[in-house]
Amino acid sequence: MPLVDQSLVDSVIKRALASGADFAELYVERKRNQSISVEESKVQRVSSGNDRGAGLRIIHGGVVSYIYTEDLSSDGLLKTAELAAAVGQRGGGRFALGQVTGTPHAPQPVEVPPESVDPEAKIELLLEADQAARDVSGSIRQVAVAYGDSAQEVLVANSEGMHHEDARTRVRLMVHAVAERNGEIQTAMEAPGLQRGFEFFDETSAAAFARAAAERAVMLLDAAPSPAGSMPVVVGNEFGGVLFHEACGHGLEADFVSKGSTVFGGKLGQAVASPIVTAIDDGTMPSRWGTLGVDDEGVPTRRNVLIQDGVLVSYMFDRLRAGQQGHQPTGNGRRQSYQHLPIPRMTNTFISAGAHSVGDIIAATPRGLYAKKLGAGQVDVSSGDFVFAVTEGYLIEGGRIGRAVRGATIVGNGPRALHKIDMVGNDLKLAPGSCGKEGQMVPVSVGQPTIRISELTVGGTGVVRPGAMQV
Amino acid sequence: MNRVAEYLIDRSRAQGAEEVEVFLSRGTEFTVRAFQAEVESLVAATSRGFGLRTLREHRVGFAYTSESDPPALDALVDEALRNGRYNHPDEANVLPERLPVPELEGLVSPHFESADPQRKIQFALDLERRAIAIDPRVRRVSDAVYSDGSGHVEIYNSRGLEAQFDRTIAYGVVDVIAEQDSEMQSGFAFTHGRDIQSLDLDAAAKEAVENAAGLLGARPVPTASVPVVLHPHAAAMILGLLGGSFSAEAVLKRRSLLAGKVGQAVAAEMVTITDDARLPDGLASRPFDGEGVASQRNELIRSGVLQGYLHNTYTARRTKGQSTGSAVRSYKSVPEVGVSNLVLTPGSISREALLGQVANGLHVSQLHGLNTVNPVSGDFSLGLTGHWIENGQLTRPVRELTVAGNLIEVLKKVVAVASDIRFIFAGGFCGSPTLLIEELPVGGT
Repeated sequence: MPLVDQSLVDSVIKRALASGADFAELYVERKRNQSISVEESKVQRVSSGNDRGAGLRIIHGGVVSYIYTEDLSSDGLLKTAELAAAVGQRGGGRFALGQVTGTPHAPQPVEVPPESVDPEAKIELLLEADQAARDVSGSIRQVAVAYGDSAQEVLVANSEGMHHEDARTRVRLMVHAVAERNGEIQTAMEAPGLQRGFEFFDETSAAAFARAAAERAVMLLDAAPSPAGSMPVVVGNEFGGVLFHEACGHGLEADFVSKGSTVFGGKLGQAVASPIVTAIDDGTMPSRWGTLGVDDEGVPTRRNVLIQDGVLVSYMFDRLRAGQQGHQPTGNGRRQSYQHLPIPRMTNTFISAGAHSVGDIIAATPRGLYAKKLGAGQVDVSSGDFVFAVTEGYLIEGGRIGRAVRGATIVGNGPRALHKIDMVGNDLKLAPGSCGKEGQMVPVSVGQPTIRISELTVGGTGVVRPGAMQV
Repeated sequence: MNRVAEYLIDRSRAQGAEEVEVFLSRGTEFTVRAFQAEVESLVAATSRGFGLRTLREHRVGFAYTSESDPPALDALVDEALRNGRYNHPDEANVLPERLPVPELEGLVSPHFESADPQRKIQFALDLERRAIAIDPRVRRVSDAVYSDGSGHVEIYNSRGLEAQFDRTIAYGVVDVIAEQDSEMQSGFAFTHGRDIQSLDLDAAAKEAVENAAGLLGARPVPTASVPVVLHPHAAAMILGLLGGSFSAEAVLKRRSLLAGKVGQAVAAEMVTITDDARLPDGLASRPFDGEGVASQRNELIRSGVLQGYLHNTYTARRTKGQSTGSAVRSYKSVPEVGVSNLVLTPGSISREALLGQVANGLHVSQLHGLNTVNPVSGDFSLGLTGHWIENGQLTRPVRELTVAGNLIEVLKKVVAVASDIRFIFAGGFCGSPTLLIEELPVGGT
């Protein structure tokens, strides 16, 4: 069943243009989700939701107006169109939107739609994972496991005659383990997910992820406080890519470039990273968390090389910024829901694989920090300064992995850190994440192989002696 | 009673629910962004949704929808009851006793509805223009926003509860860029109230410019352990991080730093913290919580001693206590436990007098990476921007610096509390004055 009848879509767009706007676009979304959590080994919060709504965007002389509604009836949508025509602002600017080229990719294949699966089967998975985590050690005090799926259907139609649909089905598991010994508490989490149906769990062992989280929480109980100071940092693969995502990726989003608020503005063609760094944003990767058939403006996604051998070759564009800057849209116009305007966002963003094994990288590092897993982080796009928590870290001593450390953070500056990447591993992996910007959350992948940054500031609670690394 | 709510309650009961609750919310949004003396974008909308909670044999069922046509409402009832079948039964799953809900004045501005959209647009344009005119080093504004919204909440349940309230909020946000040589620094400020008339545009523009320009020339400093002064915004962010630990739900799930510490000293004696959902100017104020229980002022830490936790009906029942009116939710979720307006009570000395106590130390204006803090252990190591303090004066700006510690340790090391309280959104609506922390390790070069 179409989200909205074609003839109604046409009438809505026509009516939205009534006050002379240059462009009108209707985005219709329906999203169903289910979530289940198990805490204290008991099934809690089996819940489900149904979101449905539409957003109407009009552009007039470069000024964007946006009206959204949950009322998808013919009356409701036509009233929304009239409101858009009435409150829509008109600007003196030139109207330019980047041209849409290419054909939409098919949605990612889904063998077993999650909503067709009995909640009983989902619960069974969670209870198994819960038990696996608890079996790891007597020090495990608390385990929380959760399951979530969502199925989103979107329609993008506009006054240029576009009428594209896309469907995105996602399943994810989350495991959070808390270990405690002598009043000391440590936590760890794992959260695998893909754009697949429930068949995801045929290949992914929920119990194995649960065990991994529990083992790490227990291991951290023995970790020493991290030293503080400046040192080489080896950043682990997979979720380590969050560092590039936050510290550089956001700075390559074209809205920040348009506003001159990113350190990467005006640097196309320049060396912005060490020559061993190539970075890519690819919205077409099969089954990945940030993959889209078309973006939320109907633009087919692409594989976009952002940095080639250290040289900045592209920013990430939505249609509006592409038009402003005379570029092609790159399939990065995304929105959290029908309640939001599309803005340039990442999809699946990663640093490409290099030549070295992890063993080589560690062996080549006399001393430093091995930040095997990173947690959350934050970056100031205009200065490029970032901070990240290290959720699994080890000292490197004499080219070997030494004792585990806890409570470390790494602090630095994105552009400077890019130049200081002096080794890139061959173990590229991606991980799902949820990325926030301007109050909008969208699903993305981050990723990288193991990399070494020759110098970063490490913050920790350990004994501090200026100039010397102490444990 | 609302027609939809009545239908949902009747249908749920007919299908076997013993108790039923309908949470309905609707709201409006109006947001204008200005850029380079033009409107960049305008968003206007109304939205609404329904959350349905059913109880059957002490099992909670929940589902939500944004659709209100009859088939969608029937599906909502089916889903809530189906979800409930799988949930663990718990005797503490009950709806609150029906008690009178007092009114709360002042949540709605009488001028809100009548405010002219053109005036709102002008506000965003003026905010940008004003910010650019203050300091030659600030020539660009990356974000100048006016936004307002009205919210309407109704709760109905099968025990006869019928409660509703309205609330209006308006705010302006400005984010500016200061430049000098090849360095860029950003600065942010916001102004808030119940309507556009209560916003202070000039003060916000000035503050954002000062914040950005004040950081130009920032340099790293060597690693050391020094006295740390937290600007009210930085202190309020720390307060927000601590907020989750006051939840009895977190205590029950062993995720609270404050578990088992009622009656114990968890902070310095000069620290008093309350959560007050009836605070007159609090943007999180409301007459009742997400289950319809009357809001109240909850003293959490008095003179350093933990007084108790925040409860909803479920956690109160599990711990044989009383709900503190702290159920938080949207129509998309079941009621959880959370803070509203969380306030660290101001002291009597001025900010200047507090700074005067520091011969050599660090003033923290912004903390970075708050999402990296482990709320269970309380350990943190955060990035920061701020200034070095010499003889009570803010001197050179600093950057690429970390400050490390533990949330509880910070509360215990408070040695001075100023009188200059300010509020920000940090989980709840959190307010704190400037705080002096005895000493914390600061990691630099």
